[in-house]
Amino acid sequence: MTEKTEHNFVQLLEQNQNIVHKICRLYTNDQDAHNDLFQEITIQLWKAYPKFRGDAKFSTWMYRVALNTAITLYRKSKRKVKTQEFENVAFKIKAEEYDDTTEKQLSVMYSAIKELNDIDKALVFLYLEDKNYSEISDTLGITEVNARVKMNRVKKKLKSILNP
Amino acid sequence: MDELELLKQDWKKQDANLPNIKAKEIYPLLLKRSSSIVKWIFFISMAELALGIFLNIFLADQEFWEQVENIHLKTTTIIAYTLSYAISIFFIILFYKRYRAINVTDNASTLMKNILKTRKVVKYYIIYVLASSGILCFLVFIFTLLYAEQFSGIRNDINWFKAIAIGFIATIVFLLVLWGIYTLIYGLLLRKLKANYKEIKRLEI
Repeated sequence: MTEKTEHNFVQLLEQNQNIVHKICRLYTNDQDAHNDLFQEITIQLWKAYPKFRGDAKFSTWMYRVALNTAITLYRKSKRKVKTQEFENVAFKIKAEEYDDTTEKQLSVMYSAIKELNDIDKALVFLYLEDKNYSEISDTLGITEVNARVKMNRVKKKLKSILNP
Repeated sequence: MDELELLKQDWKKQDANLPNIKAKEIYPLLLKRSSSIVKWIFFISMAELALGIFLNIFLADQEFWEQVENIHLKTTTIIAYTLSYAISIFFIILFYKRYRAINVTDNASTLMKNILKTRKVVKYYIIYVLASSGILCFLVFIFTLLYAEQFSGIRNDINWFKAIAIGFIATIVFLLVLWGIYTLIYGLLLRKLKANYKEIKRLEI
């Protein structure tokens, strides 16, 4: 690939790196693993870059490659494989222990999301990134209806955690 | 207010404290090698295909051919070898095609499916190599007892039922051990991928 292509790619990645960092934060538990996943995503993006056609937005294309790397291609995962359903996640904080402050609520929700399995995590991540259901279903390869059903379950669960 | 909407608002705030990598730090990353699961599957598969071919070519020296001639298996061996070359080439082409179909820009479900399909090709190849080696080993064992000179003295005293049973069991045990090692290698490599694939398929029900 030419120097110009390389330059363009690096510029685009520099501008859109937040997407990759957020995925790394969600899928890893320490800084070393974060850097490692960031590196692997960068390599995969660079390898796939010749296939990137300007007709799609770079960031949209990036979501797909970066999530695919985190869910499927990335091998070095220090944490155990989690296949927990959102509905079955156990929370350490007991109902009477936490108060209603927004900060607490957020912290509980973040830890709940961290505990999710890789696929549910991707679903919530795309939702939080303001992607519509059509984009979510397109990225994950599931139907729009199923993506919607799953998200509704997650919402309900969050509601029940915060309002026991 | 929707709890998730609350989270969504907060989610956007984190942009400010995310790491910021400069362009000059990105360039060296492009030169690093990928350690992706696909790369590992590719290397292990190549090693397996090469091993099959190596066993065929390099173990068949002059002495080997003299031995198979002595035990009346030369024609059978030539046929088996020709067949196995053809089958190996077929598997290599199939593997290459499947490997090329793996595309990181596909959706997650298709990507996982393609990786698992690629691995399946190699799995079938290994089953074929193990089964054909097993059959050949067993044939050589029986024909050696039947025709090899070193057994001419004791040939009439052999309990054939017992000999065949021992040969058969030994072959099966050997193949099972190889299969166990093989499954372990891929089991460790594909554990996460399989779990995620199962999960995404479950969403489709």
